[in-house]
Amino acid sequence: MTAVPLFELRGISKGFPGIKALDDVSFELRAGEVHMLVGENGAGKSTLMKVLCGAYRADRGSFFHNGKPVTINDPAAARKFGIAVIFQDFTLVPYLDIAQNIFLGRELSGRLPGLIDRRRIHAEAKRVLEMIGFDIDTRILVHRLGVAQQQMVEIAKALSQDARILIMDEPTAALSDRETERLFAIVTRLKKNGVAITYISHRLSEVFAMGDRITVLRDGRKIASVLPAETTPDRLVTLMVGRPVDSTYTRPSRPAPGDMALEVKNLSGPSGLADINLNVRAGEIVGLSGLVGSGRTEVARAIFGADPISAGEIRLFGQLIDGSTEDSVRRGMALIPENRKTQGLALARSVADNIVLAGLGRLFPSGIYIPARAIKAARAIIEKLRITTPTPRRPVATLSGGNQQKVVVGKWLNADARFFIFDEPTRGIDVGAKAEIFRLLDGLVHNGAAVLMISSEQIEIVRICDRAYVMRDKRIVGELSRDDLTEANIVRLGTQQ
Amino acid sequence: MSVATNMLVRSRLALSRDVMQAFYRLLAAALLCAVLAALSDVFLTMNNIFNVLRQTALLFLMASGLTLVILTAGLDLSVGANIGLSACLAATIIKAAGSPMLGVATGIGCGALIGLANGILVTALRIPSFIATYGVMWILAGITYYYMAGDTIHGFPPGFRQLGSGYLFGVPMPVYVMVVFLLIGTLFAQRTVWGQQIYAIGANSIVARLSGVPVERRLILVYTVSGAMAGLVSLIVLARINSAQGDIGEELTLPAIAAVLVGGTSLFGGYGTVAGTLIGALILTLVLNGMNLLQINSSWQPLVTGIIILLAVWIDTRTRRIGE
Amino acid sequence: MNARSLALQTMSIARVPGVAIVLVVLCATFGLTSPGFATPANIANILTQSTILLLLALPMTVIIMTEGLDLSMGAVLTFASIVFAVTVLTTGSPVLAFLAALTVGFCFGLWNGVLIAVLDIPPFITTLGTLGIAQGLSLLVTDGQSVVGIPHSIQSIYSGTVAGIPLPVIIAALAYCGTHTLLYHTRFGTYVFALGGNREALKVAGISVRGLLIRTYVFGGLMVGFAALLMTARLNSAHPTAGIGMEFDAIAAVAVGGTSFERGNGWLLGTLLGVIAVGVLRNGLNLLAVQSSAQVACIGALVIIALFIDGLRAEP
Repeated sequence: MTAVPLFELRGISKGFPGIKALDDVSFELRAGEVHMLVGENGAGKSTLMKVLCGAYRADRGSFFHNGKPVTINDPAAARKFGIAVIFQDFTLVPYLDIAQNIFLGRELSGRLPGLIDRRRIHAEAKRVLEMIGFDIDTRILVHRLGVAQQQMVEIAKALSQDARILIMDEPTAALSDRETERLFAIVTRLKKNGVAITYISHRLSEVFAMGDRITVLRDGRKIASVLPAETTPDRLVTLMVGRPVDSTYTRPSRPAPGDMALEVKNLSGPSGLADINLNVRAGEIVGLSGLVGSGRTEVARAIFGADPISAGEIRLFGQLIDGSTEDSVRRGMALIPENRKTQGLALARSVADNIVLAGLGRLFPSGIYIPARAIKAARAIIEKLRITTPTPRRPVATLSGGNQQKVVVGKWLNADARFFIFDEPTRGIDVGAKAEIFRLLDGLVHNGAAVLMISSEQIEIVRICDRAYVMRDKRIVGELSRDDLTEANIVRLGTQQ
Repeated sequence: MSVATNMLVRSRLALSRDVMQAFYRLLAAALLCAVLAALSDVFLTMNNIFNVLRQTALLFLMASGLTLVILTAGLDLSVGANIGLSACLAATIIKAAGSPMLGVATGIGCGALIGLANGILVTALRIPSFIATYGVMWILAGITYYYMAGDTIHGFPPGFRQLGSGYLFGVPMPVYVMVVFLLIGTLFAQRTVWGQQIYAIGANSIVARLSGVPVERRLILVYTVSGAMAGLVSLIVLARINSAQGDIGEELTLPAIAAVLVGGTSLFGGYGTVAGTLIGALILTLVLNGMNLLQINSSWQPLVTGIIILLAVWIDTRTRRIGE
Repeated sequence: MNARSLALQTMSIARVPGVAIVLVVLCATFGLTSPGFATPANIANILTQSTILLLLALPMTVIIMTEGLDLSMGAVLTFASIVFAVTVLTTGSPVLAFLAALTVGFCFGLWNGVLIAVLDIPPFITTLGTLGIAQGLSLLVTDGQSVVGIPHSIQSIYSGTVAGIPLPVIIAALAYCGTHTLLYHTRFGTYVFALGGNREALKVAGISVRGLLIRTYVFGGLMVGFAALLMTARLNSAHPTAGIGMEFDAIAAVAVGGTSFERGNGWLLGTLLGVIAVGVLRNGLNLLAVQSSAQVACIGALVIIALFIDGLRAEP
């Protein structure tokens, strides 16, 4: 640590009404170094990065560029220092081509005033893409690209602005293993060019694989800044959570599976699903794994009735279902989508309304709705799951993230669901709370329910599931029994050519 | 919880706040009455009061079905044109068959069919509701004008005319119809499972579908109801003015939308009440009635209605959309 | 193979634009049923009469690409034409009148833009309100009567020719080229795609979304002012209900032309074809002596068919 850091933030504090997002945080960026930023949800990682790139203005603190004090008040100022951000939600315009997207806002002028020089823009775009080893026709409209390719365009966009400091927020969240490797290769290439890279990630394996330095934030404060060699994943988790974490979760011994809960035969769907066969029995947690894009969410939606199917039959508890969500819910099926906040809750409605929504038919078989009964049912669930809210009448948006998750599950408990499909149940859940989710799933099947769990985290599938199916290219390519359920086997089946 | 969600939520806390909102609106209506009474000595005459009541009832009936549509975050711009076609068809049947009952059935049936068509366009063809109903509006207007070819149909049996011009215990008939549908509408929206599902669809249709709500069927229902109510209104209008021509009902679309919005229903769905629409209809009728009494050129009316709609939406946006 | 892909294959429309198919079908139908349809004179007629609609449909395409809508175009067109006529009659200067019409269009465009961009009122409500306002103003100013007595020099703008090509067609061609350049060769045009496709991208790039939106509607307003000149010249008078409903034809033309109402996807050539399609439809129906009111019904049906084809092709 001899050279002066390329960029430094010192004593940054930033508050919002009612929340202190950052409290006296200092952060260094060194050329050619990958600095990992880790912490739980709400620890302040995104806020810190937004302050760095000028999207937020810090309440207190100072910035230094190569040791010299500077100020960053807006995104333009940050760009001047070569700071570029790649957000989780890409800022690409779908019906513009790659070159136009790369140069959005910085179009090169042509000969006539007011006009842009399209040829030059394409030439420049091609050049930048070559720098990261991405060979593609720059006239392709961006909406035709896959997620990984769009990310390349985003990186090219940043580089074309002569980024010397690159901020990446969960870049591998939607990438397959192979695409992740390609990203790492690019990161390594950028490092060699002296770019300073900051990387927010939840995946500790990546943090240790790619990081040259790791900073841990917790509750808006910097807890530690260490080198990977000096620490271990468990110790990091402890720092992130602030207390020794019971991340040890052992799969309880489960009784032999009971009756057939879900039976899917020859399912095919318009999204490309072909000949899907699987089953889940009462008391089982069955995993559904595969790479992003292999069709797992599509299978879930097809089974639940959210998407139409073109062939095949689905039996729930022995009965054929008719393919509508109404029928599925009535028969006791539940789908907890990946994006729980936008697809699992009606944020503006009350906690009670959300809890009873799926169970309206059961609570009020006559069709007449009695508010008092709904509140009573909601209270029962609130008590059972220990949801924190002063009253069930408050909008569910007022609840904390964790409590909101509980409401989503509570909705299905209220509907007497006996078969649950969980899509990425631990996505976005704090490390410390993951074990709680696993225990929740255990509780469900202990009471005789059946669970189908979709997950991209092979390690979790191995830990929790009784057995698992592996998908690839919209087909099921294998079923792994308990004895064969290893991460290696899952990856092998999911990526074989 | 972020700042934004904070603000969104503050506008929805507690039941008492909704009651306060309704109270403020009633206060506004009362104030309007006071102002108008002061500005014009005709305002408080029996004749005018009945006029106001009748007009409010008419506007409310049309706006009540529309309320359900807007609750699902949709819009029905075709209601005015719906009235036109339904009225003309009903008038034809009454004259041809000599039977008011058949005419009533035709009017409501035609309105319902049009509503059904709207519903199908929105659900099966996935056309945004404001585009679909806008197109249907033009189509209906075209059909009506073509069919009527500039003629007028008049002279309906007195029994039928009672519906629009009659009195029962000294109160105009339409008021009774209004009260009946106020009760039906409120009970449906607040006290049935279907009503709760409609609110849920407006708040977040994706979540509603994923919670087992048959979204398409409920949407078709609300558009059909909106159409049927337009059909009902067409009969009352027919009964009142005792004639039918091509442009009947055209001028009622904007005021109906205004009534719903002024009554506190959010354009973005999931929030609002049928009772609120009644107050909205009252306020709007008072405004238009006042303009008439003060002898303001009637050409100003669409303009004023347009401004009222803009104001109502602006206030709605300020209080509810900040969270997005 | 499911029903949808079967339908697509049967119609072989997967690659050919829907509007082209519609246009061909319409021309074929009318060509066969009306002897007077396929004559050079009639075709020239169609093109000339479509020019006013094109001037409205071009900015409407841009507005719809930003996920907006302008329902007030017809009413503003009417009012601008009345202002034009009145100005010409009182001042005797066509130039002044033209500027007045442009100003009217500009002001209404600005009004729409500010309400939509700054006050966040949804476009269809805003422009619906503006429609009412413009319509009210038209009725008030004219008291329901036409404005007549316009000098013949104005009329020649519509009926005149340059090198045998009708002047309106030349104006329309210029307008098309201008809009094309604007959309595909300027920053403004590039940003319009972003307004509909991903506004965040603009914010991150530090470009003012509000300013862009306002400019979009002002562009619409100015084109409407321009169109008012043509319309007054064509009718040789100004009537308070003259332009009512033209925005519906414009929206129909844009929709048939393939510009979608979300996602920021626009096709200017498609709009041109859509305008011609609407023109052909109206002309053909006129030849078949179908009443104007029923024509509207047909245009509505056309839009529904076009949207249906669009929906068939959209990715699920």
